[in-house]
Amino acid sequence: MLAQILSSSLELIINKALALNSYAVDLNKLEQKTLTIALTELGFPLSFSVNSNAIIVSNLTERADCTIHTSVSTLRALKVEQQLTDLIKQGKLDLTGDIKVAQQFSVFAENLDIDWQSELAKHIGDVPTHKLVSFGNNMADKLQFAAKQINADISEYIVHEKCLVVTRSQVEKFNLQVRNVSDQVDSLETRIKVLMKGRIKT
Amino acid sequence: MSTSEQKQVQTNTESTTHFGYKTIDKEDKVSMVAGVFHSVAKQYDVMNDLMSFGVHRLWKRFTIDASGVRPGNKVLDLAGGTGDLTAKFSQLVGKKGTVILADINSSMLNVGRDKLRDKGLVQNIEYVQANAQYLPFEDNTFDIVTIAFGLRNVTDKEMALRSIYRVLKPGGRLLVLEFSKPDHELLNKAYDFYSFNILPKMGELIAKDGSSYQYLAESIRMHPDQETLKSMMDNAGFEQTSFKNLTGGVVALHKGYKF
Repeated sequence: MLAQILSSSLELIINKALALNSYAVDLNKLEQKTLTIALTELGFPLSFSVNSNAIIVSNLTERADCTIHTSVSTLRALKVEQQLTDLIKQGKLDLTGDIKVAQQFSVFAENLDIDWQSELAKHIGDVPTHKLVSFGNNMADKLQFAAKQINADISEYIVHEKCLVVTRSQVEKFNLQVRNVSDQVDSLETRIKVLMKGRIKT
Repeated sequence: MSTSEQKQVQTNTESTTHFGYKTIDKEDKVSMVAGVFHSVAKQYDVMNDLMSFGVHRLWKRFTIDASGVRPGNKVLDLAGGTGDLTAKFSQLVGKKGTVILADINSSMLNVGRDKLRDKGLVQNIEYVQANAQYLPFEDNTFDIVTIAFGLRNVTDKEMALRSIYRVLKPGGRLLVLEFSKPDHELLNKAYDFYSFNILPKMGELIAKDGSSYQYLAESIRMHPDQETLKSMMDNAGFEQTSFKNLTGGVVALHKGYKF
């Protein structure tokens, strides 16, 4: 039933987003077309069909005009239409069926532009929205700073205090030393070959 | 005469059937079931959401996902009531397809028609008042027939299954979504307690009709279990029959093909 919970939630969110979009999205070109996305992380496919300018999300595979097999991490990149062919070349996604359908869905996703602040202001008013958004931005900055700080502290503890891993400069120094030794061995090998040749001649 | 043929004759000649736990004359069942649904029609959707905590929507989604519906298909939503399945099928078959919402009960059909029209779903839906035992359609008409929470109210289930088989196209499929028997004893007991103690009280409180919801609980218990319904479908001529338990077997989705 997880598949049905996810598909009904996605359907609700997508159609709400369509209704809130800054300008009307024309989905006529995609009428009754279906894009199926099979994510490696999920055990079931998700199909997106268009009917009368609304998106219907289901787990039907029989009606797919285009099927994409990929992973969650690649999904974000799919939003940019130009990246579609690059991702196929890189082997990050496998596409079967009509590529135009995938491109048109990609254009649709790219064109989604929702003014969340205006929508929120309609419900709670301008001043509370401004306060809420400022608070949200402030919190996001603080969380970002805290995440950076925690990252730095953990690195310091692991590298310098516990010496569990080496630093980049230490790795580079080690690599340089390995290269020097390798060069010396090569030159010694050449010298030995020259000496051996001379000895065979005499 | 073989055992199965004897059974068939017995079934056909029996003049009684069940209405919940009561045994009644077959000819009375239609009007008694009609009475229940005339009474609950207006509150049907609200009660469905309350009684199942909204899970009936997921069961119906599961049915749609299992149907393999394609644009242009002709679908019969039998005992379709307030049209939940019809609404989704209508969007999925598109302008070239057709969905027929059929129900024996005029009140349910009226509620369903109003609801779907309010949603703007008018292009490809037709409404037919029909008895599942005597479907008023030509042979080999539909790609898909669904009957969700309706089969247990039908007087002669075998006859209804044969009638459905007749109207399906070769390659078409029947999906029966119906209450069934939970597969764990503990769940069964909890379900029994809920059905006989809480459900009728909710019916009394919200729909002002406790007896209809008492009938609902009783009719679920009298409905054939998963394996029996599967063999009934086999006997009606369906092939590759299978079922899938949902929510621990509280509900089961049976599927069968006509080839």
